[in-house]
Amino acid sequence: MSVLNEPIKEVLELKNYIGGRWVKSESGQTVDVKNPATQKTIGKVPMSSRDEVNAAVTAAKEAFPEWRRTPPLVRARYLFRLRELLEEHFEELSRVQTMEHGKTIDESRGETRRGIEMVEVAAGIPSLMMGYNLEDIASGIDEYVIYQPLGVFGHIAPFNFPFMVPLWFSPFALATGNTFVVKPSPRDPISQVKLAELIEEADIPAGVYNVVHGGADAAVAMLENPDIKGVTFVGTTAIGRDVIYKKCGETGKRAIVQGAAKNFMVIMPDANVAATIPALLTSFFGCTGQRCLSGANLVIIGEDAFYRKFLDTFADAVSKIRVGYGLDDSIQMGPMQSVDGKERVLGYIEKGIAEKARLILDGRTPKINGDYPDTCFIGPSIFENVTPDLTIGREEIFGPVSSVMRAKDLDEAIKMINSSRYGNGNAIFTSSGKAAREFQYRVESGNVGINIGITAPMAFFPFGGMKDSFFGVLHGQGKDAVRFFTESKVVIQRWF
Amino acid sequence: MKFNTASQVISFARKLEEDGIDFYESMAKRYTEDSDILLGFARENKKNITRVERAYYGVISDAIEGCFTFDLDPEEFAIKPEDLQHPAGSNSINTAIEMESQTARFYDKAAEQSKSLLADVPRAFSTMVKLRDDRRKKLASLRDTGNLAEQPEPR
Repeated sequence: MSVLNEPIKEVLELKNYIGGRWVKSESGQTVDVKNPATQKTIGKVPMSSRDEVNAAVTAAKEAFPEWRRTPPLVRARYLFRLRELLEEHFEELSRVQTMEHGKTIDESRGETRRGIEMVEVAAGIPSLMMGYNLEDIASGIDEYVIYQPLGVFGHIAPFNFPFMVPLWFSPFALATGNTFVVKPSPRDPISQVKLAELIEEADIPAGVYNVVHGGADAAVAMLENPDIKGVTFVGTTAIGRDVIYKKCGETGKRAIVQGAAKNFMVIMPDANVAATIPALLTSFFGCTGQRCLSGANLVIIGEDAFYRKFLDTFADAVSKIRVGYGLDDSIQMGPMQSVDGKERVLGYIEKGIAEKARLILDGRTPKINGDYPDTCFIGPSIFENVTPDLTIGREEIFGPVSSVMRAKDLDEAIKMINSSRYGNGNAIFTSSGKAAREFQYRVESGNVGINIGITAPMAFFPFGGMKDSFFGVLHGQGKDAVRFFTESKVVIQRWF
Repeated sequence: MKFNTASQVISFARKLEEDGIDFYESMAKRYTEDSDILLGFARENKKNITRVERAYYGVISDAIEGCFTFDLDPEEFAIKPEDLQHPAGSNSINTAIEMESQTARFYDKAAEQSKSLLADVPRAFSTMVKLRDDRRKKLASLRDTGNLAEQPEPR
């Protein structure tokens, strides 16, 4: 066992990045950022005031006219420069994520890579942002569309991917000529500070990118600021739908709102078991189950003998998962990001027991590899005999719990999935093309996996979501993001 | 302890390559007539570290099974440290061949187990296997032709 060097050596006093300057918040309120594995405080994050949020928006608004006049090719070059800096700092950025979030170093490196890919795709903006035209819509009259930026966009970030999720949006916003204000999650804001430092080093003009720390008050201030043209949000459905989306509607803002999930992994009797098990391990227990694309319900189709053999194989593999500090590179699952998160998962386990599901693997008192406090640690758990009407089969647990269900055939499994209020990332494991197509065709899910446990779209595809998992029209990433961050202007011209 | 994570396997690959660098650099001092070949192996090992790490860092993604891909026992591929540190006498060439065989077996197994990762990773491992096969042939040829004449210990 060897623990990699920690890049954060002292308690960081985090500042806001407004108008190209690092500004100390005057709110006087700070919250400790703790390493969830060691419980050491690694940062102090300010709870910025409404005035401070507004100052960031004003800086972004003032930077907008010049930035939008910067040719797309030049904006792309800024992103190329940023991309090089991100590569240079790849390992540091990854280790910071592990320190503030708790995920394993492999997972953090994966997050960093995904984030960089967003910058790479957005750097193709000269091609992505082109409009289209048609000659002679009437005699001597031509018509064309140009895509123009709108102004200032805001992002309210979640805690589960502190580096990557803001990058689903910000590179596309900047590339299209908009300016940006991000409010990182106060639970793990350091990754966004590191990113802003590199944005500063890349010489992206002052005010184009801004970071303002804070909690719910800062988020509301952002939503109520009339100069913000659109907001992107990733978090719970309750806040996403009832606060963010609603408020954006009231104030005329564009919105991409990604909410909760309850993802089903369907196992057909013809699945390649050896290849499926690792995919399920990463789906259910990767990032300690704190992904909106994590597997939650494992639906096994088939006769008793197949069911039992598959479940035993799965449970055996899960029971061997090494839990500990993610900077130890032998660790396969880190702690929950917070005590609240752990308590929430424990509550769901209690509910599962109370509702008579059978707990066949109990993660409540995990074996922790290394000498770390158990404050945020929890082991993987598996419930059997779960049905979609049970609380643990219905609600998002957002932790390392697998709820095992049975279905007599694919039709029943698809009906189960489609009866869920969520539709984020559902997958089928099968060797049958027919079954896979049927699943893909009928399942109500923004992202669909075929023999893939985490259905995360690449940067050049939109990140989907349906039903209570998504509110909005256009999605983050790829061409959808380019459209979200631009207005279509139609020109009809005739020359006399 | 077995290796299960991609990070462990990549770190181990780096260690194998670094051990090889030390070994060949040390051997080159002793067999000066063939030092070009031996130092060439050491230089190649440095490139190998870059190639393997580039493949890993280039494709590692939060969506792949980085933490659950491998089941490798490093003890199977370990070379005795004393052999690596003191490549002396007629055994050194055999130690080199044995080291390359062990390394090739490690990469071969890693390639097999990493098929669920994106293609670049198993491909990089497989490239390392081929490279080791070539190297073993070269070493065996040097041994069989009576090259690698040992120089007297410097006084």
